[in-house]
Amino acid sequence: MKSFEQPVCGAQALVDSLAKAGTEVLFGYPGGAVLDVFDKLPGAPFRFVLGRHEQGCVHMADGYARATGKPGVALVTSGPGATNTVTGLATANMDGVPLVCITGQVPISQIGTDAFQEADTIGITRAVSKHNFLVQNADEIPETVAEAFYIATHGKPGPVVIDVPKNVQKQLTKAQYPERVSLRAYHPESTATGAQMARLAKMINEAERPVIYAGGGVIASGASKDVAAIARKAGIPVATTLMGLGSFPETEPLALGIAGMHGSAAANRAIDNADFILALGVRFNDRVTGKLAKYAKRAKIVHVDCDPASLSKNVRVAMGVTADVKDVLTTVNSRVRKNEHPAWLAQIAAWRKEHPMAWKPMHPGVIMPQQVIEAIDRATGGDALLVTDVGQHQMWCAQFFRHKHSRHFLSSGGMGTMGFGIPAAIGAAIGKPDHKVVAVCGDGGAQMTFEELVVAVEHKIPVTFVVVNNGCLGMVRQWQEMFYRKNYADSILTVKGRCGNERLDEDLAYDYLPDFVKLAEAHGAKAMRVIDPAKLEPALAKAVRHPGPVLVEVIVEPRANVFPMQPGDTPVEGMIFQ
Amino acid sequence: MNETLHRLNCFVENKPGVLARIVGLISGRGYNIQTLSVGPTEDGTVSRMKIDVLGTDRVIEQIVLQLRNQVNVIEVTVRHAAKRG
Repeated sequence: MKSFEQPVCGAQALVDSLAKAGTEVLFGYPGGAVLDVFDKLPGAPFRFVLGRHEQGCVHMADGYARATGKPGVALVTSGPGATNTVTGLATANMDGVPLVCITGQVPISQIGTDAFQEADTIGITRAVSKHNFLVQNADEIPETVAEAFYIATHGKPGPVVIDVPKNVQKQLTKAQYPERVSLRAYHPESTATGAQMARLAKMINEAERPVIYAGGGVIASGASKDVAAIARKAGIPVATTLMGLGSFPETEPLALGIAGMHGSAAANRAIDNADFILALGVRFNDRVTGKLAKYAKRAKIVHVDCDPASLSKNVRVAMGVTADVKDVLTTVNSRVRKNEHPAWLAQIAAWRKEHPMAWKPMHPGVIMPQQVIEAIDRATGGDALLVTDVGQHQMWCAQFFRHKHSRHFLSSGGMGTMGFGIPAAIGAAIGKPDHKVVAVCGDGGAQMTFEELVVAVEHKIPVTFVVVNNGCLGMVRQWQEMFYRKNYADSILTVKGRCGNERLDEDLAYDYLPDFVKLAEAHGAKAMRVIDPAKLEPALAKAVRHPGPVLVEVIVEPRANVFPMQPGDTPVEGMIFQ
Repeated sequence: MNETLHRLNCFVENKPGVLARIVGLISGRGYNIQTLSVGPTEDGTVSRMKIDVLGTDRVIEQIVLQLRNQVNVIEVTVRHAAKRG
């Protein structure tokens, strides 16, 4: 203890603690109840990035964390500042992204009095965070920050909120940042038993129709190479979840691509016909399983995940292993025998040939959205760090981009948060300045957090923002077409075709609003619009080489749908291909 | 599946917010807590909660696993109709 040191105020202790915790970038937005902390920021050893909305700040921290694997850090004020973080926190919580979010709070003496900009941040964020803290005294600050970073990054990662009342920011403290963190009740590390490893090796070796099913947990655990090693050695095809894209290179012959509602026929049929599934770092979400009672019913499933609560949550398994995926794979590898499964792989090849991921033009001279994703893949040599928003374009990004690297496909999987794309791409590009970051958004989601484009301009962050503009909320429109009698209620964003009870004057001078090119230019970014299919590839090639932020608006076929589709609660036989 | 009465015995750190977190996990699923008692143990830093709740074995098992994941929860056991946990 360096008790001889001069005391500092809580705000300074907080900034010092964030630095000690390894913070490199802080994303934030100031306000009354956090001004003491902002007052100390200019001297901090880390970079600060000013967002334009607290949701954007948290998504930026989230994108930074997903791209780098390091915890993202955000700082916002009390009341509306804190409530604006809720969507960002929930997004990170669902996808297991490590974040630490500091919120200002009114002075302790005013808590519970409906003071100005007061919100029960601890109550509100409880259900959307892994853990949260209300700091009662400045002496608690260093230890609380250390614990928050520990909790955010250990076990299944997640967001942790630290609520710091204004009077605590002003209190003096001599408390020092702890050298190590020891939590009494939280010990998430768990390893597989020898018996479990022996049984797993036996099951892998005896399987005739094995599938590895890899999720976001593989990426979080840094186990991509270990998955590939076992898959190649034992001749096991690999399907991934949306969150697992990039965990196994899709350029490999063993890659099945994405499984689930919009997964490939090969992946879904392989899972349906498999006699053994090694599920790594997945949750068996309903978007993946379809009808649960019929899911993978021929297979013995071994489910490996660091979160014991996710084992047997949705699918009953032969063996659940609470352990780090990488640990399990490195240990079991030496016991796995070389194998080839020629008949099984031939069957899979036949399924792949029967129903490849493919698209057809619908109208001559109109760009197909799938084509945009393939063009991005080509323009970036397949090495783009692809960030998506949510909806149809997200699924096309999953389907038509050849995912090769882990932490190169960032998408709001569990929460499905529209508005994620633009800020998350900025955060990712700040964390990975040597990578080409391409954000793909729909016209709906782009409008939800467009204000953050300013941040990319200010910091000269060379993200290529591609707005795939179909003039509608495409995924909603698709469901209305397929399941709601083509009753396109309020999913059409162009003036023409709007729902009758919106009472729009169809003589309005505009059809497509907003003008994304003008909007981007007003934010200070370079922008271009592409309508002609022949100009798509040259425009993207030019855009990705631009040294600053650039927005490419691509007007695409409005009626394109995402196929294949296995509608919710149907078995694999219910897959629709067009 | 039938809903039966389960008693959850939770040992938790005696800190503010822990009760709300635990109750939230149960009530968030629409389950109604029948009886709840919280008291100190011999170790003043640890509290014991006894929670009686109606639910299916499957859902209670899930709740117990999620309770154990909580940062301030030391141990959870289930009695009565529960088969596992």
